[in-house]
Amino acid sequence: MQDVKPVAPAQHVPAHRYTNPLIVFAVLTIATVIEVALAIVPGIPHQSVVPVLLALSFVKASLVALYYMHLRYEKPIYGLIFVTPAAFAVFLIVVLLT
Amino acid sequence: MKWLLKYSAMERASVLVGTNEPALSVGKAEREAQVNRRLGFWLFLASELLIFCGLIGGFLVVKGYAATWPEHELGSILLASVNTFALLASSLTVVLGIDAIRMRNQRDRLALFLGISAALGALFLGGQAIEYKHFIVDLGHGFGDPFGTAFFVLTGLHGLHVLVGVVWAAMLIARARQGAYTSENYTTVEMFGLYWHFVDLVWILIFTIVYLI
Repeated sequence: MQDVKPVAPAQHVPAHRYTNPLIVFAVLTIATVIEVALAIVPGIPHQSVVPVLLALSFVKASLVALYYMHLRYEKPIYGLIFVTPAAFAVFLIVVLLT
Repeated sequence: MKWLLKYSAMERASVLVGTNEPALSVGKAEREAQVNRRLGFWLFLASELLIFCGLIGGFLVVKGYAATWPEHELGSILLASVNTFALLASSLTVVLGIDAIRMRNQRDRLALFLGISAALGALFLGGQAIEYKHFIVDLGHGFGDPFGTAFFVLTGLHGLHVLVGVVWAAMLIARARQGAYTSENYTTVEMFGLYWHFVDLVWILIFTIVYLI
């Protein structure tokens, strides 16, 4: 991939600072530990855990998309491009499984 | 519809002191090229997401209709958890690497963090190889049974993406050491970051659906 060369930038300012990635990483790690604990600790009914696991997974994926992939700071159209196929896929899965 | 196409914070961030117009820091043609590349890459990622969502849906359907389905052993879940942690950590180091070049023009730190990311990606692939050996040799799963087909196609395609990411990171490290990237010219590194985070995002979904549910 060829890199685009800027045309004689006269003065560069420090770029926009995003949300601290360490905080996002800590939340992702804690959520993963909770997920694994819910799945392997005996005595918790599996059927009742499934919605919680799916919700945690959705939150983790959203955090990665919003803060690591910077969708929160991007043009809204990028988010629309990214989310639309996922919405279709979820619809397809729900239809197939019901 | 204008709100869909307004300048993003990222584009505003690259401009000169005293103005918020990107066209003044970078030539108009170059700025349009950057915007087009990013749009193209997001379209690519959307198509990739569609592929993986289709495979995850296929996995769930096969699991739902299969006569028998093996339970994941504790060891398998823990190995997958370690792999998950490796990918999450590698995403963090990619972010730190991009920040190093974007905010402080530090090529050495970019190369260092990309190297850590590539090593964590290789660790993930090693863990996946161990798991595959266990499933194929010890448990006898393969493409002949529903679980094997659904599991190996989904996780195998994801593993292939991790492998591509590791090779790509190695190429970026070599170019960074040659001085190819600066705080004003790091679009390729940014594209790699998007790709790597996407691979991480997909694994988050796979981990929950394949191993925990």
